[in-house]
Amino acid sequence: MLQLILFNVFNGLIIGAFYVLLALGLSMILNLSNVINFAHGNFLALGGYLAYVLIPYVGFWPSLLIAPLLTAAIGFIIERTMVRRVYGRDPVYSLLLTFGLAFMIEDACRYIWGVNGLPLTTPSSISQPLSSTFFFITAYRLFMVAIVIVVVAGLFAFLRYSRMGMRIRAGVLDLDTVSALGVNVKLLRSLNFAVGIFLAGLAGVLAGGQIGLNPNMGDSLLLPSFIAIIVGGFGSLTGTLAGGLLIGVTSAITAVFYPSAQQAVVYALMILVLLVRPQGLLGEEGLVI
Amino acid sequence: MSLATAAAAAEALPSAQRRLLATAGVWIILIAAPFWMPLVGGYTDLGTRVIVLGLAAMSLNFLLGYTGMMSFGHAAYFGLGVYGAGLILKDVTASTPLALVAGTLLGGIAGVVFGRLIARTRGVAFAMITIAFQQILYYVAYKWNGVTGGFDGLRGFVRQPIHLGPLVLNIRSNDLVFYYFVLAIFALAVGAMGLILRSPFGRTLLAVRENQRRARFLGIDVNRHVWLSFSVSAFFIAIAGALYALLNNFADPSSMYYVLSGQFVIMAVMGGMRTFWGPLLGAAVFVVLQNYFSSITLNWLFFVGLLFVLVVMFFPRGLLGIFQRRRAA
Amino acid sequence: MTAMLEARGVSKHFGSLVAVRNVSLSVAKGELRAIIGPNGAGKTTFFNLITGFFAPTSGEIVFDGRTVSGLSAEQRVKIGMARTFQITEVFPELSVDENVRIAAEVTAGHALSPWLSALQERGIDHTVSDLIARVGLAGKADRPVGELAHGDQRAVEIAMALALRPRLLLLDEPTAGMGEQETHQIAGLIRRLHREESYTIILVEHDMRVVFHLADRITVLDQGALLADGTPEEIAANRAVQEAYLGKAA
Repeated sequence: MLQLILFNVFNGLIIGAFYVLLALGLSMILNLSNVINFAHGNFLALGGYLAYVLIPYVGFWPSLLIAPLLTAAIGFIIERTMVRRVYGRDPVYSLLLTFGLAFMIEDACRYIWGVNGLPLTTPSSISQPLSSTFFFITAYRLFMVAIVIVVVAGLFAFLRYSRMGMRIRAGVLDLDTVSALGVNVKLLRSLNFAVGIFLAGLAGVLAGGQIGLNPNMGDSLLLPSFIAIIVGGFGSLTGTLAGGLLIGVTSAITAVFYPSAQQAVVYALMILVLLVRPQGLLGEEGLVI
Repeated sequence: MSLATAAAAAEALPSAQRRLLATAGVWIILIAAPFWMPLVGGYTDLGTRVIVLGLAAMSLNFLLGYTGMMSFGHAAYFGLGVYGAGLILKDVTASTPLALVAGTLLGGIAGVVFGRLIARTRGVAFAMITIAFQQILYYVAYKWNGVTGGFDGLRGFVRQPIHLGPLVLNIRSNDLVFYYFVLAIFALAVGAMGLILRSPFGRTLLAVRENQRRARFLGIDVNRHVWLSFSVSAFFIAIAGALYALLNNFADPSSMYYVLSGQFVIMAVMGGMRTFWGPLLGAAVFVVLQNYFSSITLNWLFFVGLLFVLVVMFFPRGLLGIFQRRRAA
Repeated sequence: MTAMLEARGVSKHFGSLVAVRNVSLSVAKGELRAIIGPNGAGKTTFFNLITGFFAPTSGEIVFDGRTVSGLSAEQRVKIGMARTFQITEVFPELSVDENVRIAAEVTAGHALSPWLSALQERGIDHTVSDLIARVGLAGKADRPVGELAHGDQRAVEIAMALALRPRLLLLDEPTAGMGEQETHQIAGLIRRLHREESYTIILVEHDMRVVFHLADRITVLDQGALLADGTPEEIAANRAVQEAYLGKAA
């Protein structure tokens, strides 16, 4: 029993970690540019596939950094050429644009790498179970959790202490003022977009090593990330972090006692939050209405 | 006559006359569709499909274009219409009218209930929450095997002929009769929608779209009006869903999937979301293009995506947008 | 004279910032009151407290003998308080007629009506064309408001406020951002509403010529607190007011 509970909680943490990586990127883009990036899950897949291409040449560890960077670069170009055109317009346009991009990236991946799933090989040194009782705790999985913790801590430190991070935070509150202070807001938004996509690409490499690659691998993670943002509260990155962990762990604990409600409980949680606190756990009231 | 000169000619008329002319033109085209469509390579069921999806896009546009609220989750209420009608025909009774009513009520009431929570938010939050609610319903349809047939969908029902006293409408096996049956329901729904939009209530929705702050300070309870608009829109799209079940004799979870919601939105925007008939035109263009791409390439999804991107970047006001008064700067 | 609107010891805090500090005032029925003050004096915040945009941290607002501090914007409109905004708030893509019509229909209780009887419709038609004429836009009823000049847009906004059949009209910097001629047009309109149609009006205004030309009484705020309250002559002669303005200018 203990084994089963641990197994599920551990899985919940790992899934929660993916939600967090994806949701934080989505949330950053949403907060600064008011764009829901529907293609976020497809950038995740792209990150995974790029790592698949890179690993034979440079190995796993460098790919873990290079693939997300390449994904971010592609994101940066897409932002410069397309996404920025919808800033300030009716949100319907940004949704349609990123929705169309999602189709395009998904189909492009399918065209290039095929319909069938591909395995992403992880180094054998970290693929072995650490203990025969807790067979599910592989070093790779522990390592994944560790990486997510480091990256999230790094992201918050970046936003808190770096110049660009401070500008992003100020821009979330009042973009006009930041612009009036002489900050290049266009570039700031592009870089912010790229950072969000970097996180998605990283999640793609990590997820690829865990569940393999396929063109729509991001779909099942994207919607829970939306819910993480709704539950955590719009406009709050800390809220998104809390929301992602909360739904990951909640669904894992549910899985122990009533496995078939594992997904339903996530939605129930969202409805509960919307009923009691429409602005989300850490969201500010003014941002909703 | 080119489109531009037609637009210029229409511009010269007073707006009431222009509207009358456009409405008459639309109905003539629709009523005559089974006769001219074969000439351009179409067939009757394709026309029926356009009418049904057009009704769905127009229903969504009630909320999107006329209230200014962005729903990316309207497939939920469409899909409930599909399942509601399908379940009646399969498990309850072989009555087409009852199936239509049941589908409409199922989707509409869900819209009222969920709308209550959704209408408290605005902007991108509104859009994301509509998506989340849609995913709940999709998930239920997907998982509840015993009732919905799960992933495989609901099979084994067929639309039934309608008995009107001595008259029997054989919508079951006669394409043409079914087309006109669908067109009649479409006419009732669209007529009702037009009346609501021209009513004082309809004008308050425009007020909400144009300026929520001003609307509040005119004494309009914005949350309530958004909720009502959401509910009305859900009822209408549920009618379209019920008709869709009759059209396909089949229901599956993809009728509740967010991808379909996205398609409804692109139909509305591509046709012109600030126009009444635009979404119908958008639906026609979308159906034709999707058929075309899927017949020439396996990677048709890429081209559908490209269509979305191109519309947003180069054609944001939609096809009928060019007939409209230029928007004030 | 009875008071139409009273503020009793109203304060508003934003976190540790005190934007309005213990302000009281009383506006009589039929009076035109101007609220002025140097930049950052808290007059806009105070105005927003009266109109229900914010809730006061302490104190109360009494309208016609009834405490309104807890009421929502919609509820305040229903009991007779109508406002305009500093940045013109209209429905830009709709015509002048439609803008005013929406206000008239909502006021007549038709906000949720799916249809109107011919009689009701005639009543609304009459109200709308009358209002449009009264604010001097008779020839422009079918123009989209977004296409109109700034002064005309403001006139539309005032017509919409009048359509609400208010007992108190609250105008937030009605001549903000306007040229000489437009300022003149709007000041004339406000004067007519006050003198000929006896509306009770409270306005916040920057333009001192407009204020001294229109107001019966003037309330001066400085650093969130009440500095002076009196007739235009008294205010013009007030030492503290002069210093507040000059101090800011220096």
